[in-house]
Amino acid sequence: MANKILGNILRTRPSFMLFKRWEGSKSEKRVTVHDPFYSQPQKNKQSYLEVIKMFEGQDTRRRGHVEFIYAALARMREFGVQKDLEVYKALVDVLPKGKLIPRNIFQAEFMHYPKQQQCAIDLLEQMEDNKVMPDSELEQMLLNIFGSRGIPLRKFWRMLYWMPKFRNLSPWYLPEELPNDTIALARLAIERITSVDPDIKVEIWETEEIEASLDKTWIVSAQSESQKILLAEQPLDDPLIVKGPFNVYLREQVVSYFLLIGKTRPEIKDDSDPDDVSNIKKPLGIPGVVGSSQVPVVRQTVHEQDDGTIVSVCATGTSSRDSLLSWIRLLEKHGNPLLSSIPVIFTLTAPPSEMSIPETQPVKDRSKVEEIAS
Amino acid sequence: MNIARKLCTIHPSYVSRNLYRKFRFSAINYDTSTATQPQVQEEKFDFEDLKVIERTERRKAKIEPFMKDIFTSIFNRDMLAYPEILNKEETESMEARINAITNIFTDPKKTAEDRKKTLKGTRMYAAPVSLTRNGLASNVTESIRFLEAIASDFELGQEISDHWVGLLALQSGLAQEQYTMIIDDLITGDKPISLAIKERLAERISQADFRTAAEMDSQGIWRISGEKVCRYSNGYILVLASIEASRLKGFLIHPDAAGVNADGTFVTFAKTPATPLDMVSEVDLAHILGLSRLYAAVLSRCRLTSAIRSVVEYTRPRAFAGKPLADLTTIQSTIGNALIDIYACESAEYFTAGLLDGYVDPDAELEVAMCRNFITNHGLTTMLNLLSIPALEKEEECKKLLDDMRHVATRGESLDSVNMFIALNGIHHAGKVMASEVKQIRNPLMHPAFIFKKVLANRHQEKDDPKLNLYLSENLHPSLKQPSEQLEYCVLRMRFACETLMGRHGVKVATAYTELSRLAEAATEILVMTAVLARASRSYCIGLRNAETEMKLAACFVERTRDRVKKLIKDIDDGEYLNLDHFTVQFGRKMLDTNSSLVEKPTARTFW
Repeated sequence: MANKILGNILRTRPSFMLFKRWEGSKSEKRVTVHDPFYSQPQKNKQSYLEVIKMFEGQDTRRRGHVEFIYAALARMREFGVQKDLEVYKALVDVLPKGKLIPRNIFQAEFMHYPKQQQCAIDLLEQMEDNKVMPDSELEQMLLNIFGSRGIPLRKFWRMLYWMPKFRNLSPWYLPEELPNDTIALARLAIERITSVDPDIKVEIWETEEIEASLDKTWIVSAQSESQKILLAEQPLDDPLIVKGPFNVYLREQVVSYFLLIGKTRPEIKDDSDPDDVSNIKKPLGIPGVVGSSQVPVVRQTVHEQDDGTIVSVCATGTSSRDSLLSWIRLLEKHGNPLLSSIPVIFTLTAPPSEMSIPETQPVKDRSKVEEIAS
Repeated sequence: MNIARKLCTIHPSYVSRNLYRKFRFSAINYDTSTATQPQVQEEKFDFEDLKVIERTERRKAKIEPFMKDIFTSIFNRDMLAYPEILNKEETESMEARINAITNIFTDPKKTAEDRKKTLKGTRMYAAPVSLTRNGLASNVTESIRFLEAIASDFELGQEISDHWVGLLALQSGLAQEQYTMIIDDLITGDKPISLAIKERLAERISQADFRTAAEMDSQGIWRISGEKVCRYSNGYILVLASIEASRLKGFLIHPDAAGVNADGTFVTFAKTPATPLDMVSEVDLAHILGLSRLYAAVLSRCRLTSAIRSVVEYTRPRAFAGKPLADLTTIQSTIGNALIDIYACESAEYFTAGLLDGYVDPDAELEVAMCRNFITNHGLTTMLNLLSIPALEKEEECKKLLDDMRHVATRGESLDSVNMFIALNGIHHAGKVMASEVKQIRNPLMHPAFIFKKVLANRHQEKDDPKLNLYLSENLHPSLKQPSEQLEYCVLRMRFACETLMGRHGVKVATAYTELSRLAEAATEILVMTAVLARASRSYCIGLRNAETEMKLAACFVERTRDRVKKLIKDIDDGEYLNLDHFTVQFGRKMLDTNSSLVEKPTARTFW
């Protein structure tokens, strides 16, 4: 707690961090503002590291290094390096080695060089916020700078304990880097929400297969064998409903998906007394005969929920009504012939023109799509 | 205080008996007097044709089902007198037949054809058929003795055991005229009956578990369609099919019937005409077909016996460190363990056969299933242990033995389904007896007085130290006192286990599969322990050769098994978190969902 209060007092607001230089003539003593990050023509890792190098080379005593680090931290997102461990290490390297290590018990106890320590803690905090996993080299650097009793090192150790735990908390595994391809992303999203049934098959179709389609886009559709059977058993006079869009989040990315919902079977009704064990059912006992010769007509699978039976799930490239219509036709073509004779109602809650994923880059290589589909 | 409680709890009528027990007046033996009574002989004559006399049946009066009662900790002490079914003449004629069979079957020069010819010659294909129909009218005890001799040829053993079960089913299922028409063809042995009961598991959620159906066509002929797991040998087939959706009925398919198509271990029927077994009810059919479990147990045991022979043949001529290999105590102990298993299984089989043959209207379906359960449970492990002695040196023979064992252990049904059958039947019986008690246990706040009484009454059980009040040792040889107390302990724990299970799950106990299989295993071990003790005691008392070895085998087996039962029932009492079921089930579920290794490799890291 005390650390936190102290930290708040000591924290320098990065927005005020500017690089001050004396202007050319010594007589006037005017101060000018110079921002080396601003003047970089290209904002990438290379130029970011160059600025750090420049700062290190400027002055052997490295005056204003705390301010520099705060300013650099604030600019990371701009340069797109907020997830790069190497950059954080370069920043830590700016701090002087040896000087900040406490030499006696009092120094160690009363936060030796508080501004510098707080700066390093803030840097580590930013790493944590951006889910950048530190490594043992960083530990060594912090040890060389602040000594084994420094607070940044303690922060580092806590990070090493907790960060892997939080990183693996989600039962749905995602790759380190999410794919840039929207189809692959949609596939990941659909795989995640259909993971309730391990037997599910995810397929990627093109709406071009359907001649009448207006939107030429892709569809990631998922259906398991049991869903096919549940769909085939739907009553013909009861319409199926397309519901959506619903959102599923993959880290920062969001994907919209739609459900095809049918009628659900009645729930198992058991009014018998759960405490009455006087007549527990026993098997007939013919060796080899298990189960019964009839399938019970009650809710059995995970797909049958209170509000209906989910018979298929999809995400389309445009999320438009037309693409969903194509989806229904494609489902019909791929093993669900009943869809030709059963009415389908579209109850879409959002404007149909909304895109499923803000398509930053169109899929350039169609062969790649086929590869994923196969 | 303690003395007062002791005195109050003793029922006056037991005082005198317990006094005698205390001072070991062994001559005072109230209960076992019936066991030593001469057997009542009921002779049955066929008055239609006095020239041919049917076999005499000597059966005792009907008794309560033995193993079902064990689930409520009631032990019929008469059962500790090992059954003696056959008289002198019957034994002699049986031995003569067995000698004839064994001579041919153990001769390596004889071919499969010779062996089959011997079986036909000794009228083995007609064994269970009545004397009047030119059969042997053999009972179950004789059948398993015959089967033991035949089982050295594994294929023939399987064939003939199915054939016998089929014959019994036809005998009670067909009308007399129909039976008379085909019986002569059946007992020649050229067209043995194969059983077609088991089906493939359903592959879709809309498929029923049991799909073979029989329908009557316009001419009044039953026609069967479906697929079965069956070893088809171009003879008769006994098929189980469903009629009217939920009822099951047996059907006989004649050789060369239309629409039968065999493909490996599967046989498909396409509108195959069949004769229905109308005269037998579903329950009776279940009893008859259940016998195949007993035969499967015999076949498994014989596989184990031949494995021991093979290992002995391998070990004898070999040496290790300048000494005979047979001197290695590890090898000796492996073989010894296998022998205990064989002894136990054999005792249980003949014990069960005695129940089936010795009493009127026997209810021994559980015992039959338990025989099979025991050997399936232990047989494969024991076999693997045995076969690790020759290791890779007798590759082909070992492979064959192991594969046969695996085949016969899973033949017809899996271990789990036998377990479920045993446990559900037992719990059904226990449920009937304990219904009101369980209801009160499940609603403790409504019956506070009962709960206090129950806590007091169960205090020994909770400590895993029940009061031994069955006095089983009175019915056994005195030197078996300790093992008999161990058996007594196991029996007394069963009621507590059932009570715990039903108290915990209520009616849903029928779906607590992992716990039920423990209960089934424990009950199985109790049957086998009873059989082993009864047999050893009998052998020692009548002075059979090597009876002292039997006594030691029995004591070893009971000692070892008691710990197993103790553990099983403790696991039931502990519940899913302490016996780790909860977790193993979760791991399994996750594996089934993901089909990956669930954990990262040991070389994986999260940071560098």
